[in-house]
Amino acid sequence: MWMPLLGLLFGAILGSAISFEIPIAYAKYMSIAVLASLDSVFGGIKSVLEDRFDGFILLTGFFSNTLLAAMLAYLGDKLGVDLYMAAVFAFGVRLFQNLATIRHHLISRTLRNLGPDKR
Amino acid sequence: MRKWILPITFVCIISGLLLALQFKIQASQTPTPTEQRNEILVGIINNLENEISTYQERIAEIKAEIETIEDVTASYQDDIKYLQQKVQKAKLQAGLTNVKGRGIRITLDDNKSGLLLAPNDDPNRYIIHYENILNIITELKLGRAEAISVNGQRIVSTSEIRCVGNVILVNTTRLAPPFEIKAIGDPDRLEEILLAGEYDLLKSTGFPVSYEKFTEETPLEIPAYTGTFQFNYTTLN
Repeated sequence: MWMPLLGLLFGAILGSAISFEIPIAYAKYMSIAVLASLDSVFGGIKSVLEDRFDGFILLTGFFSNTLLAAMLAYLGDKLGVDLYMAAVFAFGVRLFQNLATIRHHLISRTLRNLGPDKR
Repeated sequence: MRKWILPITFVCIISGLLLALQFKIQASQTPTPTEQRNEILVGIINNLENEISTYQERIAEIKAEIETIEDVTASYQDDIKYLQQKVQKAKLQAGLTNVKGRGIRITLDDNKSGLLLAPNDDPNRYIIHYENILNIITELKLGRAEAISVNGQRIVSTSEIRCVGNVILVNTTRLAPPFEIKAIGDPDRLEEILLAGEYDLLKSTGFPVSYEKFTEETPLEIPAYTGTFQFNYTTLN
């Protein structure tokens, strides 16, 4: 249960510890990658709560989303259009939707556990 | 149930890593608004300082220029003064300035009462002729008069004194009696020469003539020659 949180903490510490820094020119791609990973985390949690979880789908979704978003951002750079904003927007919207679903599931589950009579 | 733990953890690790990296970039690369403002202000200050130094250089240049010009003018100042004095003196000598000084004023008029007493006599014997004026002026020049005028007409080197019909022309201006001749010079010497010449002759033949001496305190004023000097045929030799 605590493994994902520990993993998050571990990743953060690792990122802070290593001296490697991504050049500022790739900040756009990084922001998309961050959003894609967060989206995957919450999407995964949602699917767990919905009992539809599949590890393979999660991982492929994560990589393909990140890759597609990066390509979109690159294309936007070449065309002079801020296309990466579309990816940021799409991931942001999905993030909030997933969060809302997770909250919904958690609340209904808690209520069910507290008083099964109510249903 | 536990099959989801590993993949989620894996994604979480990557998320944490990416978050930390991105945070590090943001923290190191993006300046805070205050820093940005400071940078802008520093830029403005630098620009202004550059501008100031440019202007200061310009000021120094102009000051140096002014000094050079002042040096030059200072060296010419004496020459200019000398030339101005010379010009002033030349104008004075040529009769182109209003002058005043000690002198004598002679008034000549036609002998109208004499003509009335002898109506059958030749009237020409009772009027002032241009020769009378010319003689008196020549005598005044002999007495070293420095400035002479007849009825306000300054006598200069080109002045003519000539009768035309029944009027007298001086500086191409027609004059009528009574004639008033002014001369600046030594009053006593001028008086002396007058009394031994034309004036005395006129006086003795009954013309109403008179003269008045002017001292330093009540100086005689003689106007400038207002005409021009034309030299169409004369060149420096």
